Amino acid sequence: MDERLVEEFCRIAGAENVLREPIKLLTYECDALPHLRQTPALVVLPGSAAEVQAIVRLCGEEGVPFVARGHGTGLSGGALPVPGGVVISLARLNRVLDVDIPNRRVTVEPGVTNLEITRQVAPYGYYYAPDPSSQQVCSIGGNVAENSGGAHCLKYGFTVHHILAVEAVLPNGQLVQIGSPLPDAPGPDLLGLIVGSEGTLAVVTKVIVRILRKPESVQTLLAAFDSISEAGAAVSDIIGAGIIPAAVEMMDAVAIRAAEAAVHPNFPPADTILIVELDGPSSEVRELFAVVEDTCRRAGATTIEVAPDEAQRMRIWKGRKAAFAAMGRVSPNYYVQDGVVPRTKLPEVLGRIAALSQRSGLPIGNVFHAGDGNLHPLICYDERIPGQATLAEEVAGEILTYCVEAGGSITGEHGVGADKKDYMPRMFSDDDLDVMQRLRDAIDPRRLCNPGKVLPTPRLCGEVPGPYRQHPVEAAGLADRF
Amino acid sequence: MIAASMRQGSAGDAVDGVVPRHVAEPTDANELAATLQAASRDTQTTVLRGSGTKLGWGRTPSVVDLVVSTAKLNTLLIHRHGDMTATAHGGVTLAQLNRELARHGQWLPIESAFDAATIGGIVATNDSGPVRHRYGTPRDLLIGVTLALTDGRLVKAGGHVVKNVAGYDLGKLVSGSFGTFGAIVDATFKLLPIPQASATLDASYDDGEVLARDAMRVSTSQLEPMAFDVMLDGAQYRLRLLFASSPEAVSAQVDSARRLLSRPSTVVTGDPEMDVWTDQVRSPWAGTGAVIRFGWLPAKLAEITTLMHDVSQVAGSIIMCGRVSVGAGLMRVDGDVGTQAALVQRLRSSVWVGNVAVLRASPDLKQHVDVWGPASSSAGATRALKNMFDPAGILNAGRGPI
Repeated sequence: MDERLVEEFCRIAGAENVLREPIKLLTYECDALPHLRQTPALVVLPGSAAEVQAIVRLCGEEGVPFVARGHGTGLSGGALPVPGGVVISLARLNRVLDVDIPNRRVTVEPGVTNLEITRQVAPYGYYYAPDPSSQQVCSIGGNVAENSGGAHCLKYGFTVHHILAVEAVLPNGQLVQIGSPLPDAPGPDLLGLIVGSEGTLAVVTKVIVRILRKPESVQTLLAAFDSISEAGAAVSDIIGAGIIPAAVEMMDAVAIRAAEAAVHPNFPPADTILIVELDGPSSEVRELFAVVEDTCRRAGATTIEVAPDEAQRMRIWKGRKAAFAAMGRVSPNYYVQDGVVPRTKLPEVLGRIAALSQRSGLPIGNVFHAGDGNLHPLICYDERIPGQATLAEEVAGEILTYCVEAGGSITGEHGVGADKKDYMPRMFSDDDLDVMQRLRDAIDPRRLCNPGKVLPTPRLCGEVPGPYRQHPVEAAGLADRF
Repeated sequence: MIAASMRQGSAGDAVDGVVPRHVAEPTDANELAATLQAASRDTQTTVLRGSGTKLGWGRTPSVVDLVVSTAKLNTLLIHRHGDMTATAHGGVTLAQLNRELARHGQWLPIESAFDAATIGGIVATNDSGPVRHRYGTPRDLLIGVTLALTDGRLVKAGGHVVKNVAGYDLGKLVSGSFGTFGAIVDATFKLLPIPQASATLDASYDDGEVLARDAMRVSTSQLEPMAFDVMLDGAQYRLRLLFASSPEAVSAQVDSARRLLSRPSTVVTGDPEMDVWTDQVRSPWAGTGAVIRFGWLPAKLAEITTLMHDVSQVAGSIIMCGRVSVGAGLMRVDGDVGTQAALVQRLRSSVWVGNVAVLRASPDLKQHVDVWGPASSSAGATRALKNMFDPAGILNAGRGPI
């Protein structure tokens, strides 16, 4: 990047907030999908919305591509830099601007972490509902970009259900409000389009989130089963009884073994473990929890553990949430997939995955949000064995095909990003994708805003999906994968 | 351009008093798309219509060349009851859909004041009722759409699963779009189980501040009503709380809620309970007065009751129904056009109130006020999208909100 342009960025954000030394750029080469890497020309850390606006304008004038980045915990390469481009890190925009308990909302800058919002309002008995596993470190701006979910979205929905409005810089440099602090702003739901657009339509500079009153009661049980089909039947029966649990999670034997090796949650020996959590008014939870217990028993549960207190509840969740990173204990490398199937297709698709595991010779662990059919198969392999990395990639892709064939989706929460854009044609027709591209061009005609993400382009040399590698924030014990 | 399914417009087809030249009633998705393509090619000003229950919402059109009705696209395509999702044509009515879903103990938790309201119209207006308190508006339940576009293409977004972040969410974009981007061929929703039991608490007040204090007590409690509404009708104020859950949980919550309220309340169940909520949904639409939609900061309910009291002194008969925790309401004002227009201005100048839109208005009132109010700072982006989807500018032309 030429000196004149670098000086312009320095003038906007201050020289100390413009990074160009190779060693400093290293941090920004990838997000939590480390096999996709690209060195940006420059990283700018603006300190205000006006600075973000000036940076985007300058990029527009000079034709420089830009990629907004929160705290780099994304799992689909959504914050992967563009060669010769600028990374706009929103890490310095990390102020909580307003905590409004009477109106149940909090206004924050995008670099505030997800959990910080709950920390701010917890003393008043409130919380922010979306809870991705990286919530200790992930930024709310990133959550908006990815429409992040979490374990509790079966009952509470995703980020898009909890955002009232954002302030954002559009690719043309305009600073706008999208959505409204008050309900029923006339017109199309532009906010719903921006949330989940993976940073391709705008750079968010302020977010107003809705907070919820903490439920009066939370009850969690862990049920052990001899087969995944029995556990699946229990899930169907619970939901068939008209109960919407706060969370329904399933782990198979491979995942249980890994979790035990890593964090010793002391799960009972089982082929499959089901975790069911109910929350709400005490009377409701008490009444329905008995139904859930009974349903699990009738479906063939060999053991049922009800968490008697918060510490035991946390133990169960720790075992569940550690399952991804724990795969490292049982396999040299593994590949985390994220796909969705209609809940009733779970047994069929899990059967196909088991057969695929047999056929390929690669063990596949399954940890998933059973309530909403969101699968996270963990494909184990050893990259030292020639051909296994490629085989694992093929297996991962095959699983997405099963998901699409079952009427599901290629991603439930990790996003398309750079990682899965070439799978989009499996789910959408050429016309569907063309309209999405034209929509994007209408907002970003110069194609400078996070280019190369979401929509398919011919794959670049060397850009292949690859093994899971531990992210620095995981190594530091700050986050788990989901 | 006269297709097989096209006929001359008549007075019954009028859009806000303007009789369309033609009315098309395509019988399948391809014909719908082809109709829009032809209209776009010939720059025919086109209004999309479901059952027409909300067709008057918006600015008065200067001319309507074509009304495209989805009345014949009225098949409930699939109810995947095990997955709790359903896909229906845009022309299916909400009532018809919920009747079918109830056979498996499920429902789409949306209410409409209008019996004939269609799925397509509900999505296009993002219209909702009291259970919005728990379930949000249609956009929160919509998980997939198929759209017919003015270039003749059928495109889809989202899908059949409740959790899905692949691609741009065009379903959100058409929510509240008033048919300005394309026609909703079909929509897929996540569904909910019909609660086993329910009961409603109905409490009346003669003092807005007392009502607001009670409302705040309920809001800050850990009670979880399905609907939490206010109704202001003359000097009579009401709080209405719907509890729906398992039988024991309903009665326990009703008891707790009664203890929080400072005024005596009635517990209503069964058919009378249905009547309470029908009343809550339909009252703003009774009669012929102007109906105004507006939002407020939820903690400012006392100020809202004062404002309503003040305007009723000037405007005479008004009725207001709204969602306490969301801060969303509808107000009906009878009286003459001058009074109605003054009221709209009054609401728009209030610091507590925002997003004031006049949904039902006489042509005369529409001459006096802009029904949508000031445009948002993001209107430029919305217009760019409009130009992309509808380059000829035929869809809902000039009627707004964009």
